[in-house]
Amino acid sequence: MSQLLQIENLHAEVAGKEILKGLDLAVNAGEVHAIMGPNGAGKSTLSKVLAGAEDYVVTAGTIRYQGRDLAALSAEQRAAHGIFMGFQYPVEIPGVSNMMFLKAALNAQRKERGEPELDAGDFLAWVRHRVKQMKMDPAMLSRGVNQGFSGGEKKRNEILQMLVLEPRLMVLDETDSGLDIDALKIVADGINAMRSPERATILVTHYQRLLDHVQPDVVHVLAAGRIVKSGGPELARELEEKGYGWLQQAA
Amino acid sequence: MTIHASYGEAFERFAAALPATERAARAAAFDTFAQRGLPDDGIERWHYTNLQPFAAQPVHLALATAAPDLSAWRLDGCDEHVWINGRALNDAAAPAPLPSLDAHAGLAGLHRAFATPGLQLTVPRDVRLDRPLHVLSVSDAREAGEMFHLAHRIRLERGAQALLIVQNIGLPGATRFSTQSLSIELAEGAQLTLVRVQDEARGTTHWLQTAADVGRDARLDVVNVDLPCETADPIPGEAAAAKASGTLIRSDWRVKLAAPGAHAELSGLFGADGRVHLDNQYEIDHAAPHGTSRQWFRGLGFGPSQAILNGRVVVQRGAQKTDSEQRIANLMLAKGAEIDAKPELEIYADDVKCAHGASCGQLDDAAVFYLRARGVPEAQARALLIYSFINDVLARVPHVALRLRLARRITARLGAGLDLSEATLSGAAA
Repeated sequence: MSQLLQIENLHAEVAGKEILKGLDLAVNAGEVHAIMGPNGAGKSTLSKVLAGAEDYVVTAGTIRYQGRDLAALSAEQRAAHGIFMGFQYPVEIPGVSNMMFLKAALNAQRKERGEPELDAGDFLAWVRHRVKQMKMDPAMLSRGVNQGFSGGEKKRNEILQMLVLEPRLMVLDETDSGLDIDALKIVADGINAMRSPERATILVTHYQRLLDHVQPDVVHVLAAGRIVKSGGPELARELEEKGYGWLQQAA
Repeated sequence: MTIHASYGEAFERFAAALPATERAARAAAFDTFAQRGLPDDGIERWHYTNLQPFAAQPVHLALATAAPDLSAWRLDGCDEHVWINGRALNDAAAPAPLPSLDAHAGLAGLHRAFATPGLQLTVPRDVRLDRPLHVLSVSDAREAGEMFHLAHRIRLERGAQALLIVQNIGLPGATRFSTQSLSIELAEGAQLTLVRVQDEARGTTHWLQTAADVGRDARLDVVNVDLPCETADPIPGEAAAAKASGTLIRSDWRVKLAAPGAHAELSGLFGADGRVHLDNQYEIDHAAPHGTSRQWFRGLGFGPSQAILNGRVVVQRGAQKTDSEQRIANLMLAKGAEIDAKPELEIYADDVKCAHGASCGQLDDAAVFYLRARGVPEAQARALLIYSFINDVLARVPHVALRLRLARRITARLGAGLDLSEATLSGAAA
């Protein structure tokens, strides 16, 4: 199995405060990794750093993605090269239709990769099929991005964007929060549909319940800015029962 | 009060061609102008816009020119009425009553002295115009200082309905000075939607006054799109003169809710850059009970420039149960941009609801990052968010093709090449 992502000794800060303090993580193509941990451990910071948010500053360590140094790539270049971050709090963009947004995103990525842009007809077919897959109303395409969407609808829309953009590395930041059982299943089905030997997924989550539907290969515990424990799916269940207290003490 | 002699000479020439019956009223109007001059910044309402220097500059009546190619502005499905330099291309130039305007006596006097008839529209009782009316007022100035003055009059009788699009188009050329009035009267239950698109050329000084009287249970919707001209630089030789004088667009909007249950909704999109100076003064006068009014304004500060927005709401004694709301939001996009936005409330009744709010801000970094994380390059991400900001007003333009054209024009200005079509416009399907 080829290594897709390799993080070594990562230190990162936001607003002058160090959040990640020597994080190591290796993810192979084909794998699903779950990253769990208490609030404030640095889970969202890791997601943002991978996606290229400029207010998160890497102060030491390296991130290699597909063998290249990620630091050299802007957020939009990372997206074009297959990194997708599912947002914990997706942004509302009233007046910019989902259609306009998806088309702008997909064609910008294709352009960056040197591929031809999709014409209107092909694009519509490409999107419609995936809207159906996410059990969403096609009328949502002409509505503003996340405009007036409930928390669950926003998360579903994140997964729709992921299906449309077909990324290589998916980093889903608390995508399960705010979902009812039905929506959780639809979201999990979307994530599972993207599982393939070429792709990898990092599920950043607080709870075990998403992992009942998306079986992880590896579970990590992130505490105080570092991975303090890694194991198989059974680790997630252990955390659900015991909480994080025992690990924080160990860290 | 210095008024250049060329005004008087132009009036002599203009008056000579008028029917004898009109001359006295015109001469009286010109006298008012001669006595009062043009407004200067010593008057509160003209604090940011001083027209007096124009009174001291040479002017002459705009020349007749051949009809230009208007295909870039033509709208499908509309009844088109064209004026070029204040002269009707396809409308009968019937003598029309002179408008009464209250923004400034001298300026009103100038307008009344020289006004030529614009659209003279009466929509009969309970008639709905099936096709929108598209008024194109084109200015085509070949010599510096050309001026014209155009007066439109619109009356909707009881229960009548119409959609009117008024577009001011400036062809690139010499400096010019024009005024325009829109006198609107809506009888009981009438409904008018007025879209105004300001598309003047550089080197233009333009004043618009709209005066509307809204009757019982009648409704007026206004969408005013007042953005920097996108036309190319003026012709060589005139460039220096045009640049020196810049572009100045001043618009006064007076809406009187004259009878119970009248409703007005004013929305405006404005932005200035470079040497463009935009000044919009809105006033809604609640003169009767149970009136409702809404105002939505969006301002863009593109670059070193000044844009002014004054939104005044007056509630007269006895205008109980008035319900009014005004929201102003401004987005500052570049250093040196200045927007002066001022809500003004004047209330003489005690059982009313008047809400207002004004904000000034920049693009949300979290939203820019969200788009970039999906692969949208930064410039395009910013353009999409600006589009989102203005869409609140743009979506109120009822003519879809016009809305699309305006959206394209604005986003093209941002230089990010957004892919806009009717299918991708939000709300277009609804």
